[in-house]
Amino acid sequence: MSRYPFLICGILIAAFTSLAGCQDRPSDPAAWTETELAILKSLALDSLPPLPPDPSNAVADRPRAIQFGRALFFDPRLSANNGISCASCHQPNRHFSDGLPKGQALGTSNRNTPGIIGTAYSPWLYWDGRRDSQWSQALSPLEDPEEQGSNRIQIVRVVAADDAYRDDYVSLFGPLPDLDDRLRFPGISGAAQGAEWQAAWLAMTPADQHEINRAFANLGKAIAAFERSLMPTQSRFDEFVAAVSGDEAAAASLLNDDELRGLRLFIGKAGCLQCHNGPLFTNNEFHNTGVLSAAGELPDKGRVSGVREVTRNPFNCLGEFSDDPERRCAELEFVRTGPELIGAFRTPSLRNVEFTAPYMHKGQLATLAEVLAHYNEAPDAMIGHNEAKPLGLGKRELRQLEAFLRTLSGPVEGYQSDSM
Amino acid sequence: MSRKGTSIRLAAILTLSVLVPQIVGAHGGVVQEDDICVIKVSYLRAHFKVYQPRVSGHEQFCEDLPIASESVFVMEYLHDALATMPIDFRIIRDVTGKGRFARLEDIEMIGDLDDATVFYQPAITEPDVFTVIHRFDEEGDFIGIVSATQPDTRKVYAAVFPFEVGYTGVGYWPFFVAALLLLQLQYLLMSGRFKRWFGRRSAAVSAAVLVGLFLLAPLDTVVAADTELRVTYSTPAGQPEINKIHSWVLHVESKDGLPVEKAEISVTGGMPEHDHGLPTRPRVTEELGGGDYRLEGMRFHMGGYWEIEVTIVTEQVSTTVVIPLQL
Repeated sequence: MSRYPFLICGILIAAFTSLAGCQDRPSDPAAWTETELAILKSLALDSLPPLPPDPSNAVADRPRAIQFGRALFFDPRLSANNGISCASCHQPNRHFSDGLPKGQALGTSNRNTPGIIGTAYSPWLYWDGRRDSQWSQALSPLEDPEEQGSNRIQIVRVVAADDAYRDDYVSLFGPLPDLDDRLRFPGISGAAQGAEWQAAWLAMTPADQHEINRAFANLGKAIAAFERSLMPTQSRFDEFVAAVSGDEAAAASLLNDDELRGLRLFIGKAGCLQCHNGPLFTNNEFHNTGVLSAAGELPDKGRVSGVREVTRNPFNCLGEFSDDPERRCAELEFVRTGPELIGAFRTPSLRNVEFTAPYMHKGQLATLAEVLAHYNEAPDAMIGHNEAKPLGLGKRELRQLEAFLRTLSGPVEGYQSDSM
Repeated sequence: MSRKGTSIRLAAILTLSVLVPQIVGAHGGVVQEDDICVIKVSYLRAHFKVYQPRVSGHEQFCEDLPIASESVFVMEYLHDALATMPIDFRIIRDVTGKGRFARLEDIEMIGDLDDATVFYQPAITEPDVFTVIHRFDEEGDFIGIVSATQPDTRKVYAAVFPFEVGYTGVGYWPFFVAALLLLQLQYLLMSGRFKRWFGRRSAAVSAAVLVGLFLLAPLDTVVAADTELRVTYSTPAGQPEINKIHSWVLHVESKDGLPVEKAEISVTGGMPEHDHGLPTRPRVTEELGGGDYRLEGMRFHMGGYWEIEVTIVTEQVSTTVVIPLQL
């Protein structure tokens, strides 16, 4: 064997290294191509389309439903111990998350508390997409023994016993079930999963069960009307995009060098746009990114389980409690599953991401730096297949990406803390 | 029991594969196949891996575990039947005295299995992937026993795999194996086995091989036509949109430009570069006439290169055409 192959390899490696060096040399971070400008525009809040209608929820956009739903959202009486409301975990001053790895209510919930802002745009709710509307999602924590731990009869009873709530309900949905009839509607508090409650529920007539389910679904629709009104607002990044097509120099003053380079990485070689795209920085789809299992727990199966659950959930888009006579449910109708969805979770929005630590479905990663280091490494998934590929970014680049992520913050529209 | 239930660690397998080659093909347990660790529950196979996430993160182990810690056992089915079979998983302290050479017959001779059991997952049907978690409190020799029950015949298939947790002192056998291994080295090098073995042991090498394969894979540039048929599509927005479920109209015509009617059409697709399919399961919901078909449920969740595979079956022809899409 001659030495030529090694020599040639050496020359090639040297050539590539020097070329790569040229490309990596800091260029003017504020100079954008037409294609890049188009990408920037696609991420700006101004590109967010109008809120899509929710035909499954007839009161979705009614002001009285928003107001009623808002009151329910903050009402701790909708829990087994009168101490937990939706807002206990979805805390407004924390961008509707709670700063914990997993939600803490009556017990410890199964996953990290996801944000609510902008979820009206998502066809799927929860990390595993096991619900397909905001209103059907809003019902689950009320009966989850680890969360609010109540039951649907008790929840409707709380509403019926409150004069203001009853007025709201009747004006939006019509009469409430006759809950004074304890023979028809047993008075059992405690979680809907409890044996006593289950037995009492099964003893009810299907018609009475239906009446309760209808009223319960209506309360979810009111809560969803409030949640639907929660929107992100302009961030520094959005101001930058608004300025950049006019005066690049002025725009550049809105973001510093690190942030600009981080943005360039974000839309370029870091590959973030594959999932975090659009003005909400999410495709609302499901991806396995190889996050390590949480301490003491099995790896979470994620979307493969979520698909099964959403298709059989009685409050789904195709179910009898939808208000859409045409049952326009393309997302549910054409839903698919498969091995690639093992261990896959919904892409979260990155707006206000600096305030929503810890991250990932079990809150496994405490900081943005840890998240970026994870994607940079893209390790093999414990179950299923990690879609992400290692990025090979340097430490400085990771810091720049993090700096960019911190430009995506802004207050929440639809909620002012002083107005409660 | 005719099946030999012996499980042997890699070194022993390689050694014995020369001395008594017939055992390797017949035993039910954990073995190395090409680059992956495989558990054979009789003829049913699954990718087998163990993690100790609290101490070694994403590092995979095949059998032996470095220390007593939280351990997650994963079986990814290579045989679909396992997805429908109740599977139970037991870990016992090695009370057989057989160590690496314990087999199912030895397990059956244990008087009080429960007494030796440190972990038991009763039979459960897992449609996607089988996982169990156990925190080892002490180091030592253990035996894993996996049983899968065929739901129709009630026939039980089992795999037995002895393994070690932590360093538990050495007997004479590792020296015996090491000596034999040295003797095998030349054989392994000549037979090409060593190369496969090394590839498995080194994550970097396997990654490099994978990347190499990826680079070598030809980029499919098939246009939406084959020699018989041509397929075109139109969308409401003029082009496929990202993150919005929408419908297409497919137009199918013959090579002579005649519309193809009454065809059975099915559609799949995905991103070859990301190893994933479409996020939805679209289908043709209506034939519109003139070779046009309404295709509903199309959704793309990221920009990049997609391929849509349209399979068209008529009385005359059955073919699949690929529509390449750069979004």
